[in-house]
Amino acid sequence: MTARHAHRAIGWALALITTIVVVVNQRDVGIARDEIVYMQMGGRYADWWLGLVAFDHGPTEASVTQTFGGPGATDNNREHPAVMKTLFGLSERLLHKKLGVLDEVTAYRLPSAVLDGLAVALVYFLALGLCGLAEAIVAALLALLLPRAVFHAGLACFDAPTMTLWLATVYAYLRALDGRRWPWQVGVVWGLALGTKHTALLLPFALGAHYLIVAWRARPSGAWHQVLRAVIGYRWRVIVSLAVLGPLTLYVVWPWLWFDPVHHVRDWLGFHLHHVHYNYEYLGHNWNAPRFPWHVALVTTLFTVPVATLAAAAIGAGVWIAARPRRADAPALLLALSAAASIGPFVLGTTPIFGAEKHWMPALPTICLAAAVGVGWAARALRSSVIPERVAIAVVAGAVVLAAAAETWVAQPYALTWYNALAGGAPGGADLGMNRQFWGVALRGVLPEIAREAPAGGGAIYTHDASPAWGLYQRLGLAPRGLRDAGWEQAGIERSQLAVVIHERHFNRHDYLIWKAYGTVQPSFVLRSAGVPIVSLYRRPR
Amino acid sequence: MPIAGAPALLLIAIALWEVCAAHRDARAVPDDAAWHDAAQRVRAGFQRGDLIVFAPAWIDPIGRWQLGDLIPIEAAARMDAARYGRIWEVAIRGARAPETAGLAPVASDEHAGVAVRRYERAPAIVVADVLDRVATATGRPALELAEVGFAPHRCLQVSPAPGAPLRLTFPALPLGRTLVGYVGIADVFTRRDVRSPVQLDVELAGKIIATVEAGVDDGWVRFEAATSPGPADVTFIARARDAGRRVCFAAEARQ
Repeated sequence: MTARHAHRAIGWALALITTIVVVVNQRDVGIARDEIVYMQMGGRYADWWLGLVAFDHGPTEASVTQTFGGPGATDNNREHPAVMKTLFGLSERLLHKKLGVLDEVTAYRLPSAVLDGLAVALVYFLALGLCGLAEAIVAALLALLLPRAVFHAGLACFDAPTMTLWLATVYAYLRALDGRRWPWQVGVVWGLALGTKHTALLLPFALGAHYLIVAWRARPSGAWHQVLRAVIGYRWRVIVSLAVLGPLTLYVVWPWLWFDPVHHVRDWLGFHLHHVHYNYEYLGHNWNAPRFPWHVALVTTLFTVPVATLAAAAIGAGVWIAARPRRADAPALLLALSAAASIGPFVLGTTPIFGAEKHWMPALPTICLAAAVGVGWAARALRSSVIPERVAIAVVAGAVVLAAAAETWVAQPYALTWYNALAGGAPGGADLGMNRQFWGVALRGVLPEIAREAPAGGGAIYTHDASPAWGLYQRLGLAPRGLRDAGWEQAGIERSQLAVVIHERHFNRHDYLIWKAYGTVQPSFVLRSAGVPIVSLYRRPR
Repeated sequence: MPIAGAPALLLIAIALWEVCAAHRDARAVPDDAAWHDAAQRVRAGFQRGDLIVFAPAWIDPIGRWQLGDLIPIEAAARMDAARYGRIWEVAIRGARAPETAGLAPVASDEHAGVAVRRYERAPAIVVADVLDRVATATGRPALELAEVGFAPHRCLQVSPAPGAPLRLTFPALPLGRTLVGYVGIADVFTRRDVRSPVQLDVELAGKIIATVEAGVDDGWVRFEAATSPGPADVTFIARARDAGRRVCFAAEARQ
């Protein structure tokens, strides 16, 4: 095996390890509220595609509308593009229903885990090309050992896949700057990113700025119109690829756009431009209306990426800045612009902040790559006559990776409640008034207690925001079959014998509704993560 | 080498600290046995009418799990703590509850990280509580257990029409030397969707003795007015600029 092949094999091995880690980890992660929708819609979309290729039906407007759209803003989840949902559905249909090799939830979640593995591979290959093998391995391991990313990658949602496809676009763009004749990859990958989540629309800001800078640097001397022409035409095929193949790919992979695409794109973007502000706790305040603090993204990142990774990234950024661009394609600048485009909107004070770090996950690869550069630089500075370079790199990299591994280990499976050592862990995050969790995933941890407390003859349970997942928990055998979901709000509580509160600050209201109905403030059980309450279970006094 | 190696040594130091800290932080909150011991201590000294509070606020569910049978809804959803002469504070991580601010504990012990402190003071003497007299009020307010500022409060809840003050009169309300109350906007979702504040005036013998405005982020806003002991008609006037506002208030006449 040549060194090149060996290096490639390491990258793909890291991708495989990442996917396995995510798949194993997600087994203890509860089902997120939005995930239920994506799973259900994924199944519908997959069936439609399978029916299409089997000639069971044609691509008619009626069938497309019935499956992918509708008149309402959220009909068939038309507010989110179809790529990942389709993959979730195809995975479940093949690996669970047809082959039976995975359970239903794992099968739905597998594509997201695979894409997280791909993200780690991309980080590896990017670092390999820019820095070398040691940095590539460190960058990949740090990308694998991001506690919140491991969590998000284990859900059948769009956030980890968006990070991957964003990075893939950046990678394809960087390679396309070599002047190749047909840089189709960058347009197609960006189209897939668009087909995953609307946030990919931010990418051209990074790519465009980078393109202008590197083209300006490469400009010939001459009259202004010659310079302008040279700048625009620097790698004009890349622009064409993005401008033509990007939207075209989006169109192909999202049947909802096949008919009346202009209106449907307008509706899609309009939904997100006017998105409701969900409640989100940050530094002790419940935020649900702008203006939001400009520092939400920065502080949240500071508290949700391992500290050693951040410290190494700070050194790496310094190295990048001090070194100034040596390469014509300025990869460090591109990575910085990529992170800035991802995180920038959250500095404005008007962009919804709910979901926090999952919405700027595309910034994480830049941090990991910078961290690897920082580790490599610091380790090489340490080498001496008594400390060989390899040993220095192994020691420094080992320490930083170990710290990231420790944080990732303690964070699971309630990684949304976890904060890093700088914040003081989950209890420190609670002290600081940072968001406790969202999407109701923690219900999974209280299911054994619910099974113990369930009335013998059946009954009903109030689960508020975890209600959509209840039926799936029952199908999986994790929740008592005889215990039905009681329904919403006060009427649901009145019908219930058990009630659950998934602790977020704005969900305190559910406690008070239960107190009124049950006549007690005493839960029968409180689930905690690192000592921090995440779910209360109430039993109606007999 | 010493200077050149500083960044690497710093990284190693940070990493090793993080490994230890991550492990320590995950176990930094007292375990079930400590909570059980602390709860036993409270139960041993608890007297009917005592108030139990928890600090920091985020341990409240654990505290209610351990001691909720000693906490009536009226105490958990109290207007404030002034009427309680004995307060038990169950706390971790060196926190103090706002209800015990300025007080010194008369008894204090520690149970593997859970502090149990007892405070004693002269309680406020409540001459009349408008929540107990809801049946006598004009305007038919609803007695609710509402979420105001993400905390529970028993209160009188009204929804005045925009621009039309809603008057609630408590005839012959026994008064002491002061009338203390709180007002806020109930329901996090209406607070999110409608951002205007509400106003509450307190009228005594045709004269406004207190005016308080509560905004969407203000929570449970205190007001106080001096009064002359004896019965009097007290009118609360709620105002809102927008429809659907849930104005939630409580008041006590105190000696």
